Amino acid sequence: MNAPLLATRALTSGYERDLPIVREVGMEVHEGEFLLLLGPNGAGKSTLVKTIAGLVPVHAGAVTLGGADLTALAPHERLRHGLAFVPQTENVFTTMSIHENLLIAAQVLPRPDRAGRIAALYDMFPDLARLRSLRAGQLSGGQRQMLAVARALIVGPSVLILDEPSAGLAPKVVSEVFARLREINRGGVTTVLVEQNVKAALAIADRAVVLVEGRVRLDAPAAGLAESDTLGKLFLGGHGRQHGTTTEDRG
Amino acid sequence: MTPQVLMDGVVAGAMIGLGAIGITLTYSILRFANFAHGEFISWGAYLALAIASALGTLTGGDVQPIGPFSFGWTLPVALVLAVILTAGLALGVDALLFGPLRRRGSAVIILVMASFGAALALRNMIEFIFTSSPRYFSTELQIAAPVGGGMRATPDQLLTVAVALILVAAIHLLLTRTAMGRSMRAVAENRQLAGLAGIDARRVIRTVWALGAGLACVAGVMSGLVVQIRPEMGLDLLLPLFAAAILGGIGSVPGAMLAGLIVGVAESMTVAVVGAEWRAAVAFVILVVILLVRPRGLFGRAG
Repeated sequence: MNAPLLATRALTSGYERDLPIVREVGMEVHEGEFLLLLGPNGAGKSTLVKTIAGLVPVHAGAVTLGGADLTALAPHERLRHGLAFVPQTENVFTTMSIHENLLIAAQVLPRPDRAGRIAALYDMFPDLARLRSLRAGQLSGGQRQMLAVARALIVGPSVLILDEPSAGLAPKVVSEVFARLREINRGGVTTVLVEQNVKAALAIADRAVVLVEGRVRLDAPAAGLAESDTLGKLFLGGHGRQHGTTTEDRG
Repeated sequence: MTPQVLMDGVVAGAMIGLGAIGITLTYSILRFANFAHGEFISWGAYLALAIASALGTLTGGDVQPIGPFSFGWTLPVALVLAVILTAGLALGVDALLFGPLRRRGSAVIILVMASFGAALALRNMIEFIFTSSPRYFSTELQIAAPVGGGMRATPDQLLTVAVALILVAAIHLLLTRTAMGRSMRAVAENRQLAGLAGIDARRVIRTVWALGAGLACVAGVMSGLVVQIRPEMGLDLLLPLFAAAILGGIGSVPGAMLAGLIVGVAESMTVAVVGAEWRAAVAFVILVVILLVRPRGLFGRAG
């Protein structure tokens, strides 16, 4: 198989030095892949993706993107390498208009490219185009998530990481958000999704990684996982050997 | 009480407003009350004085006043250089003191206490270098001319008000129309998200220090021009500056200027009606009333 686009190598991280939340996580995401990150509450999923985005201190290990070591880089520098992250909450500038949110994100691009890129995003998200002067704080939950995704896509990232974009959204809106994420992934953007909405997320993902207590417990194709009892066992604290590739399998 | 009270208040308020813009910008982005800001006002005035004096001496000492004003060409040149040096001073203080504290994740109270320490050190350095005697940019006597409505003002006073208004408009345009302004507003609202959106927060912080200190320098030079230059001039302005920043609403540049004018006029009216000894109390009363009645200020956002 080709070299992974995004990888973590024995990554250990946490907000406090003596209290690691993510423990020696080795994870690989290949170009064009849609990876789903699952796990029970407190498993360290959000901490892992925040560490990859540069928001949580790394205690040991490394994060690489396209072979480049990002471990010591600040979030804005990681974005310039092509790594975009959409946090679960507070993911838009609420005091600014939709257009200003996109203008801020576009500042990373060369000046002549900015207007064209924003126009392309408006084509992709017509609702945002229609409401461009509206303050982001006035948007509905679904619209806000779409703005957050559009903001992340403006730079044309190679990897898009999302932390529970369905949180707090109505089921119908969740379906729309997921359909849009799949569409974006099919457009060539490698996607990593942290999600509690397991069944719906498995339906759009290629592969799933399950974290339990900060460690990878399962790494398997998404297809068929929803019907198996493997996930249930892991979510309920089972530590036995599971189907797919476990950390023990990789040695 | 005469209309002149209003004019005097506007002149004083213009200086307070300019200083308050620096306070409001640093507070909204760095999230702490910088009590050393007043010292940038004093340092700005003294640096401009030193440069203007040096330029005057180098050119033979015969510097003629420009038009109706009390100062010659050396002061505008000195002002530009002093703005740069005061911005450099603020960046130096940040690099040596506040930056390391931020990186350590220090609590806000530690940053505030550090700013008290920085203020003491900066003020005493001024006394050590320039002595505590009052100084003046010019000893030219200016006659206040009628400006309408029963008010009179000297050309220097009118200039200070005009410069303050032009700078407020320029800063407002910078914040609302430029990439750096948007970055500053983004970091003020959510520093973490700003980083994820590709903004280098450290660059924004440096810009804010330089901008705030540069404006403080202009306020110091204006104050020195229409009153006098003393090591305590920044300290004396500190409470009115905070009153104006909070009354205007943290983060609002036009708010800071409008509130500066309100505080200036209130001080001027108090002097006329109650007595000069109550001047300093006015800002304190305004500060307490705003915090009780409308903590977000005139233009601040709820939340």
